[in-house]
Amino acid sequence: MSARSLVLVVLLTVCGSHQVQAQFLHPKIKSNETKIRRVIVLPAKVNVVRDSMKGPEGMAAESDELSLRVEKMVAEVLSKKKNVTTLSTTTATGEGDADQKYNVADFQTKFDDLLPKIMKKRSDVKKGRFSMGDEVLNLNLEKGADAVVFIRGEGKKLSGGKTAFTLLVGGVPAYLRLQIGIVDARSGEVLLYTDPIFPGDPTTAVDRLRKALEKAFKKLPEVKAQ
Amino acid sequence: MFPRKPTSLIVAALCFCILFTSSGPVALAQKKTAPVEATPPPLREEFKFGEVDLEVLEQSDLLDVRFERDGLVLADESANAFLRRVGQSLIPRDVELERVSWKFRALRDPQPNAFALPNGSIYVTTGLLTLIDNESQLAAIIAHELTHVMRRHTYVHNRSNRKKFLSMNVMSAIGAFAPGGVVGAVITIVTTVAPFIMMATIYGYSRDLEREADLKGIDMMISAEYAPEEMVNVMKLLDKDFEGENIRLFYNDHPSLDERIKYLSSYLGSRADRVTHQMELNRERAAYFRNMESVMRHDIQLAIKAGRARSAVYLAQRLVDFHDDSENLFWLAESYRTLGPRAPQLTDKELTNSAKKDAAKKSVKRTAEEEERDLLATPAGKDNWEKHQKIAEQFYQRAFNAENPVPVAHRGLGMLYEKVGRGTDAAAEYEKYLELSPSAIDRERIQRRIEALKEKLK
Repeated sequence: MSARSLVLVVLLTVCGSHQVQAQFLHPKIKSNETKIRRVIVLPAKVNVVRDSMKGPEGMAAESDELSLRVEKMVAEVLSKKKNVTTLSTTTATGEGDADQKYNVADFQTKFDDLLPKIMKKRSDVKKGRFSMGDEVLNLNLEKGADAVVFIRGEGKKLSGGKTAFTLLVGGVPAYLRLQIGIVDARSGEVLLYTDPIFPGDPTTAVDRLRKALEKAFKKLPEVKAQ
Repeated sequence: MFPRKPTSLIVAALCFCILFTSSGPVALAQKKTAPVEATPPPLREEFKFGEVDLEVLEQSDLLDVRFERDGLVLADESANAFLRRVGQSLIPRDVELERVSWKFRALRDPQPNAFALPNGSIYVTTGLLTLIDNESQLAAIIAHELTHVMRRHTYVHNRSNRKKFLSMNVMSAIGAFAPGGVVGAVITIVTTVAPFIMMATIYGYSRDLEREADLKGIDMMISAEYAPEEMVNVMKLLDKDFEGENIRLFYNDHPSLDERIKYLSSYLGSRADRVTHQMELNRERAAYFRNMESVMRHDIQLAIKAGRARSAVYLAQRLVDFHDDSENLFWLAESYRTLGPRAPQLTDKELTNSAKKDAAKKSVKRTAEEEERDLLATPAGKDNWEKHQKIAEQFYQRAFNAENPVPVAHRGLGMLYEKVGRGTDAAAEYEKYLELSPSAIDRERIQRRIEALKEKLK
């Protein structure tokens, strides 16, 4: 078992049915210099695999469905708990001409590139170390947007056989782990990073997901209702 | 998968050559002879679809949709038509394959690679299309991939893997090796949809299957009248490592490049009397560059975005050598500007496995800006930076002086001036850019930069 898996097992075992999340805020958010009132949520990329005794199997359709659910749930939690409005835009989904599609795709990739660096030292978000640069303006999103939300996730669903095997022998149980970054829509600075994780079948998670997200955004200052 | 590294089947290759050459006089009279019965037939006629195979097929179709949806397929109709023409010319006539619909597409990925899905979708990355020299080399790549589909290698490999229970470690292997950038995007998609396909198409098939694809590929090239020796040359190109990447991502667990060159050369030696005339190849090269110029520009842009500045400089220089128009000169200038304090080439020491591993570890710890800052703190880094900024400036100037100058060169020069602290010049260049290109996609970004510079200069 790799070190990564071991950490995950320990984390999920210790926490049992509870959710775990870490939140890191940019100093500008803490000092209220920057306020997040309106956001654009870019399409989430949440991937789930089904782990059976024959090995992992892709769950493309379920992953797509879960991605959409997480995306909506993030918008809902931000709106209900923090009064943050989610702006709807077709440019964010990369619809339209090929250049816009490439633009969004490349920006999503840029976040994927930055993610391992954030993960290596998440607490540095608090020092304002991470930025995606002013290229974020090339996305030509809504003018009123204060921030862009990037969502990544990975999860595992176990087959019956694998569940029994895990109970008897040990191993990584079913789980969902999200990685959410909120990036300033003008400067590209990473304003917030949070990575909720919770055990259980990710494909059926609704309430568990909502609760995990509510906890994940707990430190984000609430803005006044508009 | 178009592999280049590892393991030995040299004994088998030598036995094969001895057997073949001793079985009768070698046909040396013709340059491109008809295929002889040296490799298995092009199709696996006995193949019958099972439930497991249909699942793989379904996942392949999903992959096509995902690549398209996530903006990874290059929407360049002329480039895709070119790929299609080369691909179709290689497929033997009268070949009808059950559940295969041929598609040939360019994938927006600066990492050189190609792979085939069992449903007949062949993807060649822009990184590979930009690296190769001519149509015959492209034919070599596609012929290799076509063989994987025609001989049903993905299904065979999948069945074998399931039996062997090898898939168990697929996810950890992917987790350990998946690099960042667009390459990472492709891998993530394939992993989600079909981990088995991931192992076969991206990481490579078994050595036997790869060897079969190499040899059948040569047969197909000869039949389609492509210069078969370009299969060997493309192997050599694939061995270029500009970025010192730790991962032999696409080429691990395969016959090593040297061995492949040996067995391919032996196979070729028994089938052709001479190599194609250099003049013919040069003509082919010029035609290829004309067809692929827009793809090459796109790839250089991707390489710059992915921080592959050394590759970008090499590829942009090749493009400028072919056609020094304003846009190509601009891309060369951009590549040098991005190269910044980095050395233009890695040293032998930096190309050792341990150095690559160290570099990979460091790259996770540092952002691109931090890496640049650290390098600038060294005398060598500072020298490189000054040298590359000068070269970049010269190429921007050449881009202005060329016919039909591209406005983006003003933006590039503005960024260069901003970096070296020439605020007034930078603002002037940005303004020129916006004046010449009023509906630029990055208008707001540049306007903000102008405002910030003016504020600073007050």
